[in-house]
Amino acid sequence: MNDVLAGRALTKRFGQTVALAGVDMAVRPGEAVAIMGPSGSGKSTLLHCLAGIMRPDAGEVRLEGTRIDDMGERRRSALRRTRFGFVFQFGQLLPELPADENVALPLMLGGVTRAEAVRRAREWFAPLGLGGMEARRPGELSGGQAQRAAIARALVTKPAVVFADEPTGALDQTTGHDTMRLLVEATKHNGASLIVVTHDPGVAGWCDRTVEVRDGVLLAAGARA
Amino acid sequence: MNVGLTWRLLRGGGRRGMLGTWLTLGAVAVSTALLLFAVAVDFAFAARADRGAWRNPVAAGSRPAVAVEASRHDYVRGREITVVDLAALPGRSPEPPPGLSRFPAPGEVWLSPALADLADRLPAAELAARYPKRAGVLGDEALVHPDELIVLAGRAPDAPELTATRSSDWIVGSQPVKVATLAGEPTEDAEGYQVLALIASVLMVVPLLVFGGAAARLTVARRDQRLAALRLVGATPGQVVAMTVAEAVIVAFAGALAGAVAYALAVPLLSRVRIDGGPWFVADLWPHPLVMAGAVVAVPLLTGLSAVAGLRRVVVSPLGVAKRETPPGMRWVRLLALVAVLAAVPVVSRGDSAGLIAVVIGLAFLSINLVGPWVVGLIGRITAASARRPARLLAGRRLVDDPRSAWRTVSGVALTGFVAGFLGLLSPGTLVGTQDTGHLRVSAPAGRAATVAQEARDRLRHAGVAAAVTTRKDVVVIALKDATRITGDGARREAPDGPLLRAEPAALDRARTALTGLVPGRTPTTQADDEYFGGEILGDIAVGTVVVLSVSFLVAIASAGITAASSVLDRRQTYALLRLAGTPLEVLDRARRAETLIPLAVMGGGAILVGAFCGIPFMITDPNLSGLVTLVVCVAAGFAGVVGAGALSRPLLRSVTADPAPRPD
Repeated sequence: MNDVLAGRALTKRFGQTVALAGVDMAVRPGEAVAIMGPSGSGKSTLLHCLAGIMRPDAGEVRLEGTRIDDMGERRRSALRRTRFGFVFQFGQLLPELPADENVALPLMLGGVTRAEAVRRAREWFAPLGLGGMEARRPGELSGGQAQRAAIARALVTKPAVVFADEPTGALDQTTGHDTMRLLVEATKHNGASLIVVTHDPGVAGWCDRTVEVRDGVLLAAGARA
Repeated sequence: MNVGLTWRLLRGGGRRGMLGTWLTLGAVAVSTALLLFAVAVDFAFAARADRGAWRNPVAAGSRPAVAVEASRHDYVRGREITVVDLAALPGRSPEPPPGLSRFPAPGEVWLSPALADLADRLPAAELAARYPKRAGVLGDEALVHPDELIVLAGRAPDAPELTATRSSDWIVGSQPVKVATLAGEPTEDAEGYQVLALIASVLMVVPLLVFGGAAARLTVARRDQRLAALRLVGATPGQVVAMTVAEAVIVAFAGALAGAVAYALAVPLLSRVRIDGGPWFVADLWPHPLVMAGAVVAVPLLTGLSAVAGLRRVVVSPLGVAKRETPPGMRWVRLLALVAVLAAVPVVSRGDSAGLIAVVIGLAFLSINLVGPWVVGLIGRITAASARRPARLLAGRRLVDDPRSAWRTVSGVALTGFVAGFLGLLSPGTLVGTQDTGHLRVSAPAGRAATVAQEARDRLRHAGVAAAVTTRKDVVVIALKDATRITGDGARREAPDGPLLRAEPAALDRARTALTGLVPGRTPTTQADDEYFGGEILGDIAVGTVVVLSVSFLVAIASAGITAASSVLDRRQTYALLRLAGTPLEVLDRARRAETLIPLAVMGGGAILVGAFCGIPFMITDPNLSGLVTLVVCVAAGFAGVVGAGALSRPLLRSVTADPAPRPD
């Protein structure tokens, strides 16, 4: 099966510090991959390069066979908006908008009318256990509820790949467990691939396989038992 | 320990934190400099009124008279000369007037420096010959402004100039009056200028205070999450307040000092602005050291108070800030305050208390500031409800989320709209008088018109001035023969003595000089001379309008720029995450523009109407084209200024959103 997303010989430096030293990494359609490693190992830099947030100094990134690392900021921005979804540790929901409009925002940015965008956004609430919370603002949601709203927002545009950076880092163990289950299930249910950056083996355990980054180098790759 | 922690918080804000601190410092500096200007203007007009009081004699009444004094106006090259005739009464030794080393003896004249200079530059037959026997030059203490043209003529108490009846109209001069001292009292027009200056000060000070307050809250806005965290770990409200106030006051004190220095540097330039016939003595625009010290102390204190107000949410509910819950809606009772003040405007303006009027205008101003955030919230709800595109939705939701912050961005221009609306109605159009300088007229004593006319003919012939001298009742009319007919607008107007004429300035001044003393105590004047003071006052109002609007715009645009930059810094995490998820920078920019322009259009328009309503009772001319033009220019410049100031923060937005790994702070 062809890779949906592939990075080849990715290199990135910040001054004298080598964040990535020729990393190769590929993700198949519908696959969930965990990137693990200690702080400062380069795992977030790898995610940012694969997601088109950051350009590598060398190497290339291809999405469904099309090279994306040499695109201009405007095209990469459009790509992130339409083909990728993002879930972060905190702060990704706009505090001013109610939950349903937060989820609808990527659709509206893609040109969908507001009424249609909100209607499609609300379809995600009940399946993710957020029924009745559509009008609440992020500050009125618990941490777990806010992360579930973020998952809905990441998936509402039917992306090819969802990127999650420490998605349970701000949650307690039980809530984190539930959130990861929902994230993996919802992503797979929509046919999307998932790349999760984490330092928590419990989180990585939800994924199909785990890769480890240390000092900018991909050390090992292992499939879930 | 609080101060130490505060200092570490201030210094530990990082590069962007320090940028915010510099913005606050700059805002306070601008506020302080303009505040000093607004206050100094009042002291400057008071100083002018005091220095000019000696030529506005007050009758001795029951006190023993020591001198007799009268004044009138003469003209040269289209400029006014104040002529004061002064005589000591027999057996009296009055104190000399201010600016003179001794009391003038009969026959001698003392000229102001500007008049002496002009007399030396022009041919004697055009000016100097009017004032022979120059004894000296008047000191600055005798002058309203450095360019003033004034002549003090010593007379004998029984000289015709001090015994003949004069007109009592202040535009022509004042009757001979026996005085007990030469202290005099400020003239009516000097007092009028003081009232206008007070109104101008109020119009400038209120937006300055609002701006200063906004600047203070910028500091708080950057800190509130951090201070909320301090509350969460157990800091008492008192400690949080003390730290915030200390931080705001430290920054504001530095800003106030910088503002005082900036004002000091600007004074020489400001002194060149011509009002009431001339520029200013630098000392007039230099506030008393106590006022200066008061401003440098008061501004940081007010900033501290404003910071406390801004921190109220943190102190009352630390979780409210930390978790960003829905803010409570503002009450419509704010609207009642504005309605109440507007209802008072027509009532109060019937009175003649300038102070009360200034207070009501100030209250109207403050009411707009009070009602502003409420209206912004309302506009936000309407915008959000009707939004179809993301930019308008974001703008509307942000307006609802923090209407006070949105109001801070537009308040400056909206309040300037009030000033423009108020002054737009006061602003006079060009006073198109007849501008006739071809006819000189002087009233002759009853029954002596023919004699005076004959003497005028003799004097003019002797001086080589070609003129036709006629009489009309007791008025002697001198029509200069080399004058040209005025065409254009003026030609359509009727003149009492034939077609409107414009004389050569030199020929006119030769005629004036030749006719000096023709009728003791009276000056032959042209119609243009008689229109001089009306034109000057209306011209001064126009200059004042431009000054007040310039100050207001400077404040408004600086305010818009600073709050826009601060808003980007405050929302940097949100902006960064939005861009990271693929939101185009243009959408963020459109949202920012809409967030500013929508409330600006509504509040700016509303403020103009409120200003116009408050200005109606003070209208001295009909609303006119120039007032309308002022309004339109204001609106256009305000919008352009705010959009421009907002655009300046775009590189900052690009910079903060370029950070791929945003952190909460």
